[in-house]
Amino acid sequence: MLILLGAFTLLPLLLPWVVGRLGARAFYLAALLPVAAFTYTAIQTPAVLSGDIPFEAFDWIPPLGIQLSARLDTVSWVMALIVTGVGALVMLYCRWYFRGKTEGVGQFSAVLLAFAGAMYGLVITNDLVVLVMFWEITSVLSYLLIGFYNRRGASRRAALQALLVTSLGGLVMLIGVVLLVVDTGTSSISQILDAAPTGPVVDAALVLILVGALSKSAIFPFHFWLPGAMAAPTPVSAYLHAAAMVKAGIYLIALLAPVFAGSPGWRPIVVGLGVFTMLLGGLQALRESDLKRILAFGTVSQLGFLTVVLGYGTQDAALTGLALLISHALFKSALFLVVGVIDRQLSTRDIGELSGVGRQAPVMATFSAIGLASMIGVFPTIGFVAKEGILTAFLHEAAGGAIWGIVALVGIVLGSILTAAYGIRFWWGAFSTKHGADGAAVERTEWPDPPLGFLGTPVLLSGLTVVAGLGAPLLDVVLAPYAAPAPASTAGVAAPEPAHLALWHGLEPALWISLATIAIGAALFALVVATGWHRRVLPFTAADIYNAVLRGIARLSVLTTGFTQRGSLPVYVGTIFVVFVAAEGTALLAGSDWKAQLDAYQTPMQLVVAPIMIAAGLVAVRAQKRYTGVVLVSVTGLGMVVLFATSGAPDLALTQILVETVTLVAFALVLRRIPSRMGEHNASVWPVARAVLAAAVGATMAAVALIATAARSVKPISESFPELAYELGHGKNVVNVALVDLRGWDTMGELSVLILAATGVASLVFVTHRADTLSSSTAPLPPAAARTRQPLVETDEGVRPRGETGGTERMAWLVGGQRVRPENRSILLEVVVRVLFHSIIIVSLYLLFAGHNLPGGGFAGGLVAGMALVMRYVAGGRYELGAAAPTDAGRLLGAGMSIAVACAIVPLFFGAPPLTSTYFEFDVPLLGHLEFVTSTLFDVGVYLVVIGLVLDVLRSLGAEVDRQTQELRDATPGTASIRQSGVSV
Amino acid sequence: MSALVPLLVTLPLLGAAIALIAGRHRKTQVAVSIVTLTLVLAIAAVLLVVVDAGNAPIAVSVGDWPIPFGIVLYVDRLAALLVVVSSIVLLAVLLFSVGQGAADGDDDTPVSIFHPSYLILAAGIFTAFIAGDLFNLYVGFEILLVASYVLITLGSTESRIRTGVVYIVVSLVSSILFLASIAVIYGALGTVNMVQISERMTQLPQQTQTVLHVMLLLAFSIKAAVFPLSFWLPDSYPTAPAPVTAVFAGLLTKVGVYAMIRTETELFRVNDVNFVLMIVALATMIVGVLGAVAQAELKRILSFTLVSHVGYMVFGLAIATPAAIGATIYYMVHHIVVQTTLFLAVGLVERRAGSTSILRVKGLMRAAPVIAVLYFIPAINLGGLPPFSGFIGKYALFNAGAEVGTPIMIVLIVGGIITSLLTLYALMRAWNLSFWREEDDSAETEERISYLGSAPAAAIETERRVIPRIMTAATAGMVAVTVSLTLFAGPLYEVCARIGASLLEPVSISQLEDEAGR
Amino acid sequence: MDVSLVLIVVMAVLFACGVYAMLERSLTRVLIGFLLLGNATNLLLLIVMGQPGVAPFFGAAASSEEMSDPLPQALTLTAIVITFGISAFLLALIYRSWQLGQADTVEDDAEDLALRARGVAAEDAMDDETELVSDDTVTDFVGLATAPITVLGSRDFAGIRDDAPTDRPAGRREEPPRRIRPPEGEDDA
Repeated sequence: MLILLGAFTLLPLLLPWVVGRLGARAFYLAALLPVAAFTYTAIQTPAVLSGDIPFEAFDWIPPLGIQLSARLDTVSWVMALIVTGVGALVMLYCRWYFRGKTEGVGQFSAVLLAFAGAMYGLVITNDLVVLVMFWEITSVLSYLLIGFYNRRGASRRAALQALLVTSLGGLVMLIGVVLLVVDTGTSSISQILDAAPTGPVVDAALVLILVGALSKSAIFPFHFWLPGAMAAPTPVSAYLHAAAMVKAGIYLIALLAPVFAGSPGWRPIVVGLGVFTMLLGGLQALRESDLKRILAFGTVSQLGFLTVVLGYGTQDAALTGLALLISHALFKSALFLVVGVIDRQLSTRDIGELSGVGRQAPVMATFSAIGLASMIGVFPTIGFVAKEGILTAFLHEAAGGAIWGIVALVGIVLGSILTAAYGIRFWWGAFSTKHGADGAAVERTEWPDPPLGFLGTPVLLSGLTVVAGLGAPLLDVVLAPYAAPAPASTAGVAAPEPAHLALWHGLEPALWISLATIAIGAALFALVVATGWHRRVLPFTAADIYNAVLRGIARLSVLTTGFTQRGSLPVYVGTIFVVFVAAEGTALLAGSDWKAQLDAYQTPMQLVVAPIMIAAGLVAVRAQKRYTGVVLVSVTGLGMVVLFATSGAPDLALTQILVETVTLVAFALVLRRIPSRMGEHNASVWPVARAVLAAAVGATMAAVALIATAARSVKPISESFPELAYELGHGKNVVNVALVDLRGWDTMGELSVLILAATGVASLVFVTHRADTLSSSTAPLPPAAARTRQPLVETDEGVRPRGETGGTERMAWLVGGQRVRPENRSILLEVVVRVLFHSIIIVSLYLLFAGHNLPGGGFAGGLVAGMALVMRYVAGGRYELGAAAPTDAGRLLGAGMSIAVACAIVPLFFGAPPLTSTYFEFDVPLLGHLEFVTSTLFDVGVYLVVIGLVLDVLRSLGAEVDRQTQELRDATPGTASIRQSGVSV
Repeated sequence: MSALVPLLVTLPLLGAAIALIAGRHRKTQVAVSIVTLTLVLAIAAVLLVVVDAGNAPIAVSVGDWPIPFGIVLYVDRLAALLVVVSSIVLLAVLLFSVGQGAADGDDDTPVSIFHPSYLILAAGIFTAFIAGDLFNLYVGFEILLVASYVLITLGSTESRIRTGVVYIVVSLVSSILFLASIAVIYGALGTVNMVQISERMTQLPQQTQTVLHVMLLLAFSIKAAVFPLSFWLPDSYPTAPAPVTAVFAGLLTKVGVYAMIRTETELFRVNDVNFVLMIVALATMIVGVLGAVAQAELKRILSFTLVSHVGYMVFGLAIATPAAIGATIYYMVHHIVVQTTLFLAVGLVERRAGSTSILRVKGLMRAAPVIAVLYFIPAINLGGLPPFSGFIGKYALFNAGAEVGTPIMIVLIVGGIITSLLTLYALMRAWNLSFWREEDDSAETEERISYLGSAPAAAIETERRVIPRIMTAATAGMVAVTVSLTLFAGPLYEVCARIGASLLEPVSISQLEDEAGR
Repeated sequence: MDVSLVLIVVMAVLFACGVYAMLERSLTRVLIGFLLLGNATNLLLLIVMGQPGVAPFFGAAASSEEMSDPLPQALTLTAIVITFGISAFLLALIYRSWQLGQADTVEDDAEDLALRARGVAAEDAMDDETELVSDDTVTDFVGLATAPITVLGSRDFAGIRDDAPTDRPAGRREEPPRRIRPPEGEDDA
């Protein structure tokens, strides 16, 4: 059976292709699979009867106890036969229905077949969770099937609401299932049924599961999706909405009822809603004029009927209910298919437009009549057998005084009257010759004869109702095992002698009631036709509720989102800090043990620096001019430098001061391009509120810091760092060793951050490409000229070293000097830079290599070298920078990173962990004793990356910005605006 | 084996270095990136198999320093699994973007910037996953964040700068908080090694623990986009280039969730914030999904569902039973894959239809059946419909919750139901409008468009371009992965269950030393 | 562990200032705020070093007790450099946003504003894809020219000329159902 399921998942994938080749004939192929499944199930019959139930299982997700299992007990067996049998027939029918249709048929056939598979799986699985899965799968597939004519808004909406309603039910059911599974500890249906657990949890679970079942089976208040689903092609209605999907809920109820019908809340829900639905649907069916919708509401009504009977949970009800289930599956799909034929042939289903079809299509008319007979319960159809049995059963219950038995009986009787009425009306509407108000016959509709193959399916199905009716005794034997576990009667009612399905029980009350209902029904029909009764049953339709709910959700969503999603950055950041203060505040105030270990101050320098930093910080945030703010910030930075220096952190002091400088330069580069005053547009708002929040954050931070530091009871791991650094890292400077060796992994990550920053700066300024305008600007420079330091002049061919011509110009000390406009040139500065540049580079190299044992290291070195480049740029402008830059910044970054990574990877080849450093010492003549640690190489990588970053900042925020502003200045306003847009698009 | 661990990070970095040096040769860059990520994927797969089979996490002490003084790389099942998943995602998205780049002539993806940044992003993500050291975790976060800053502002158009700024500033705040919490944790415990932290943490007074705990959680919650710290996400993701959004949505928030998982299970064993977490989870789910329902633009819809489904994971985390943790991990894996796939599919839609407004785009099912399928499958998967992983993860979570069975659990389960139904509603409504609706079925379109005038992003009409096969292929590949999450749910979930079980067992320094083979 | 009250105060103030500035719309102010927060955090790291001692150089002091804690220093150094890189990036961002909008302020998200401005009418436009309307069509073949199948016999041989036209829209929008009679002389029958 599992193999069949597998086939059901695979074959649909091929179908669209086949349909592409064969057209509608591909449905023959599609039908093969259901046929196979049907045959297999039929073969299993003896096993099912003899009681050794066929069972297959495959552990799918063991930790969750989810099992792909198949178990053919009686009810599964019946359902499997129905699902596969009707499925196969519908496929054959589709072959004609979609004759000559192309659009979407391939997809349709695939989905229909997959749906058959899902239904098959649903009825045979023995795992409650997997059942829910198939359940929801059918919802999705039905969504696709109902939406087949998706050009029409009506179809799409109907599909969506069917999906929403059924999956809502499915989800509610899922909760129930979860509760049940957790309560019983297994998801195996058979085990749960054997265990028959009880208790409040189980009761709740059952109610939830019932909600799912009712929504699937279109029981009030979920019934409305079914008529809407009539937008589906008629074969779909015949299959999903008569035989298969709507039966899923009934199947589940039938599965649980024998064991759980006794639980509180079950019968009230099942019988109450069932009866109400039966009547509501019947009345609606009476007032519809579209044949298909008549059947749709008829189905709703019949489903209510089935729910009542199969949900009631006594032996007789169960047995006869199952018979009713079979009967309904047969006749209802037959009738739908008949409607399909009419629609396909005449492109209408409106009883107002049909007249005299019956005469022209006797066969169809006859077999429709047979089908209807089974629906109404006329001898000798299975419908008659079932109905009589049901009436008997409930007569007994009612006589026994079971309150819900009485309700059910009354409901069923009234319902049967309506059923008879709309049944007759259906036939009249479809086939009879209508007479106008004047009594004259309406001109008859032309009926093009359909091929027998098209008619074959409905004929066969309705024929079967009679066969089943005649074979009632046989059915009785087959179905009995299902009813067996159910109690013979409800509490307080004497057990009846067990009912049997038979065509003829003699002249007993049930028979008379049955006849009476039919008679009254006929009369009612006559009345309706005569009066043309056409009134709504309920003041509102459930669809209205559905719409109202959706609108409510839409409104709610817009309100919520409008409220939370302010779209304003300050609000978002503010929220974060508010949450921070609130959360930490609660955490702090919750506890009682407040203690802090405080010195007033640790070094006198702290007392000096503190007020300066505080003042600078406070003023910085109130500053109106950008420069002011920036400078004040770097004042706090310098304060940090002092603090570092005085707390035994020379490396930090060194790095911080360098960073401060470079940052300041970068700031200057950018700020020269934008006005000095800040926040002209939407200036700062709510200063007070922000101040309060800010203060709160500060206070919270302080409190956290105090609490945390006070809690320190153990020595920090860094206690042993100095020894480790010297023994293993071969460096005296613990911090440097920590950076390049002990925590080198961090540093490597930090390098990638720098690289990213550089790349990002470039990407933001050089908008689309990372081409290096520096190298290009110096490219035409012949190396010889570069060496001889010929000053540059701008000629028509671009930048050229100055030739003999124009020797009057004064000698330039810097290559790029000539490019700077004379008024911007400072010869003195050029000289100084020229002199200092290389010495600074030397210093930086010293810092780099000394760093292992003295303050310094890669960062400091790199930054110093960067400063040298800054000087070149400031003094000589962008061409000078181009001349000074060792190479493309990208290459520098890449090279630095490669070196660092190499230091990490190489040790791996020696079986050592990454970044393991090696130590060499050797004596060299003249130089004496030399020591070398490989981690120094790592520091070289750092050095290069830092230079790369500085270079990138300079050439982006410096050189490129110069170029762009230059262009803006040169270009006429018009072109300027074009460039702007060109850049920003 | 332990030699493989550092390669997870160093290989991408090396690739990035090469990509930078070869800045002008696009083909080299592409080749390098693809090769690198493929290698990483292979390595990660091996590691997962080894770690899971041997039931022995791998610890590597970088620089061969005695534990716990140096930095420890720690690969347990969780880390290995996530590295595998994320490298798959990264690879697929890379292929997608290569295709896009090829088609766009790199007009909006400056290739020489994209590849290095992308590789470093990968390195950052992996660093975070395998970090056994709190500060190293911070560094990992910084790497991936700065990389994301660069990527989200790619092409630096006006809208991208604007939304990029929102994203960047919020992330900066979270980083500051993270660093500050590291500082105070060091202040209290004198260590940054995560195992040692969890050892020493238990000796602190409860109040102090809670203070540190909350601070750390806040920092991570911002990254994981947990309500009410999630508002930035839907504003910033949608405008980035499709592949960037895809990888952000799939991975970055999950790194935050991952950090939260480590915090809850490893750093702070005695835990008194679970109840709060549950409330937060509920709010995240509901508010997020309501936001999705309110949107009329696919990328925004997806961004909001992303937020709401983070709620699921927080829920699972808050239940804090082994079963729940396992379920959370499975859901996390599912969500990484599915969310990325959906964003890729939407990327295809954008190219094909020139817009992602569900009110403008029409008739895609007939115009582009392949894209239709590539959207539909992950959509119902995210909607939590069986047989797909979304349902399995959801069921597992609910099951774990129901086993605890407290009222709040039931409330959260109901919230989860609502969330998944509304997710389905939002995504299928989009399907109705954009895939099924046809040009000629436009009764109310005019009215709609007139209203759209007020919704800029929805009104953006990029030009319709041809779709290179490789983009479709990448997306299809991801769809296949989502399906395989169902097919191989058994083994995968068993791994997740083992993770759930093992995460809650304390690890000691000595164990760490054994695993590092010292 | 002893900490300095002065430093705590400075740290708190810097945090406060940073937060205050970060709540601005002007990117430059945000950057200022970020730098302040960065300094504040570094200061926090400095605080958790505990008692300051001599610089951590091997042999500089008899025992590591007298040295200041090197680990926070290493962390701080990393933090400083990272902050440096990020602020460089932010600067470029400021320049770029100025270049684009002649302003370095962050505007509100247009989509969100649009959503808040969205009226009920617009919502209706969203809803009416899901609203149920009474569907009074009485055929599956709305707007599709569909001729009946009139092949006699149940045989289904390949040779039949199939005159049922394939689906083609018979009208632009949904129309009241029409009965389409097969045109004369086109039937095989």
